[in-house]
Amino acid sequence: MTYREFYAALELIFQLKPNTIQGTEALDDLGEWDSLAKISFIAMADAELGAAVSAKALLACKTVQHLVKLFDGLITQ
Amino acid sequence: MKALIEAIEFYFPENALGNEALAQEWTSLSADQIFERTGIRERRVAAPDECASDLGVASAERLFESGPCNRESIDFLLFCTQSPDFFIPTTACLMHERLALPTSCGALDFNLGCSGYIYGLSLAKALIESGQAQKVLLVTADTYSKFIHPRDKSVRALFGDAGAATLVTGIEADESLIGPVVLGTDGQGAENFIVPTGGMRRATVPDAHVVADADGNCRTVNNLFMDGLEMFNFTIRVVPQTVRTLLSKAGKSMEEIDLFVFHQPNAVSLEHLRKKLGIPGEKFVVALEHYGNTVSASIPIALKNALTKGRLRSGNLVMLVGFGVGYSWGGLLLKWLT
Repeated sequence: MTYREFYAALELIFQLKPNTIQGTEALDDLGEWDSLAKISFIAMADAELGAAVSAKALLACKTVQHLVKLFDGLITQ
Repeated sequence: MKALIEAIEFYFPENALGNEALAQEWTSLSADQIFERTGIRERRVAAPDECASDLGVASAERLFESGPCNRESIDFLLFCTQSPDFFIPTTACLMHERLALPTSCGALDFNLGCSGYIYGLSLAKALIESGQAQKVLLVTADTYSKFIHPRDKSVRALFGDAGAATLVTGIEADESLIGPVVLGTDGQGAENFIVPTGGMRRATVPDAHVVADADGNCRTVNNLFMDGLEMFNFTIRVVPQTVRTLLSKAGKSMEEIDLFVFHQPNAVSLEHLRKKLGIPGEKFVVALEHYGNTVSASIPIALKNALTKGRLRSGNLVMLVGFGVGYSWGGLLLKWLT
């Protein structure tokens, strides 16, 4: 998955317009980062990356880059 | 003698809590946004004096009115609930009296949530096929609304109150009509879905403090707590595994299953499971838009919904999977015959 595809997936979760996310944002600034948004994120990771995300690791993420770092090596240019 | 499902009816409380009302209270999400995130537009909420047993009795009365059998022929009542009337006596005994069932009828409660219907069918099948019963009335009902704090958005939008009654009957048949059955339990997940007080382990705390979590959801120790992320991780790990084990046990392929009816937690989980398992939309039942997550009543409601809409036909091979609080899960195949 490319960074743009990852950001596009996040845009869907936050219901943002395409190309809104540049990768430097804090999650709370993007919109409602509640439990249902986090569930949608785990679903996306499972479906698109085949990766499991622990609840503990996800709760520690505060920025878009923190989310990227959950998938070391699976998101590329 | 083989067990089969002969009839299903359900009942909802009158009071409907719609997304518009929730959006007015919470202000951070619109009604449409709540629907987009949950797949639910409204959920029913029991009246203050309305118990799960009332919903169960009402659904059973609807079943009797629909005419599959006389109540005198019921020889076992199984009641699945996590909101009993009392600790003592057994709520099924109280329901037995209200339903005017014969005194020769067995009755018991069992405490399970979202896996409850699968366990109930498994018990009913065992009672019938061991010759201990001929007509089992399986009632699944809950009033989770009574455990939920009004300012806990994480659960209030999801759960609805309901009751369902299923008549499981024994007939002469060569093949199994309910089964095989796959069951599972993992108590390590217990803390992720819990009402911490009110039982013998810890009494209800008077004037308990309201605490807000990181998402701003409020609850006290007397309220339902659900770790949605952990529950979702459990779901996507266990359900596909259960489906594979069930198919292997039955010697069937996915393509041979005519209809998949899973427990209905929310639309995101269901859609994710459907895609992950490669189930075409026309074979996958989603029936929570007007009811919410009705716990152990969700599968029978979805089954009945499918039957009413013509999606479930005689001769269909149906897969049911229930999963949730405990952690507890189960799946089975059933041949639908009318």
